[in-house]
Amino acid sequence: MNKPRLIFASALAAITTIVFVVVITVWAELSSPLKDWLKNFSGHHWTSKSIFSALWYVVATAVLYFVYRGQSENHVRAALVSLLICTVLGTMILTTFYTGHHFNIY
Amino acid sequence: MDIFAVLQSKPVLIGFHLGFAIVGIDAFLWLLGQFKDNGGSRKSRIMTAAIGVAAFVASWTTGGYYYVIYYGTLVKPVIKSGFAPWAHNIIMETKEHIFLFVIPLAMTVLCITLLEKDDMERLALRRLAMWLSGTVAALGLLIGAMGFIISAAARWG
Repeated sequence: MNKPRLIFASALAAITTIVFVVVITVWAELSSPLKDWLKNFSGHHWTSKSIFSALWYVVATAVLYFVYRGQSENHVRAALVSLLICTVLGTMILTTFYTGHHFNIY
Repeated sequence: MDIFAVLQSKPVLIGFHLGFAIVGIDAFLWLLGQFKDNGGSRKSRIMTAAIGVAAFVASWTTGGYYYVIYYGTLVKPVIKSGFAPWAHNIIMETKEHIFLFVIPLAMTVLCITLLEKDDMERLALRRLAMWLSGTVAALGLLIGAMGFIISAAARWG
């Protein structure tokens, strides 16, 4: 097993998972058909998001590990820094979104 | 009352949700210390990260079960009709979704622990590993604080 490549694949997969969660969460709040579809898929919209985000992370890690073979040491570090930034941004975006939603700003 | 009924009761589920999260937070704080001091064997780092990941998965499933089965029908209406509906609309909605960030983050730290110490120094990843471990623990603590606000809103209206 190539461990730096696994770290790189996991970091990129985690970034795409965070982006996926943020996008589908905001989208579903603004689109009733999507939220209804998520509810109907598993019985609860959050359960569906949990299932899809876990599957997304596992599949993305596996695909990126086997597909992307050209990562350098700098790429691994850049992926981990990006993951830290995406985590903070994702948390801020969701907090801001639900705050605005509560106060009927949109 | 059989054991499954006890395990599915509200106080037990909340207790497991919180207890497992505390184990996960502690594991990643311990790992942060190991990375900082460059201490512990590779095997102990892997074990610490694996315990942390397993604890967060357990916290996710027990908390998720409580949230899906009980929260929406019993707790959410109380909060929404009380003096702090924002505790659900902002805090709970944010909490339940940022929880989904934790496992991929924690898994990435687990992947880093697979490296030998020499490889970690060669790749210059130790500082980033500290930041990531700290972020997992901080996110867990933030989610815990949010849980306190939600419980308080339900308890005191």
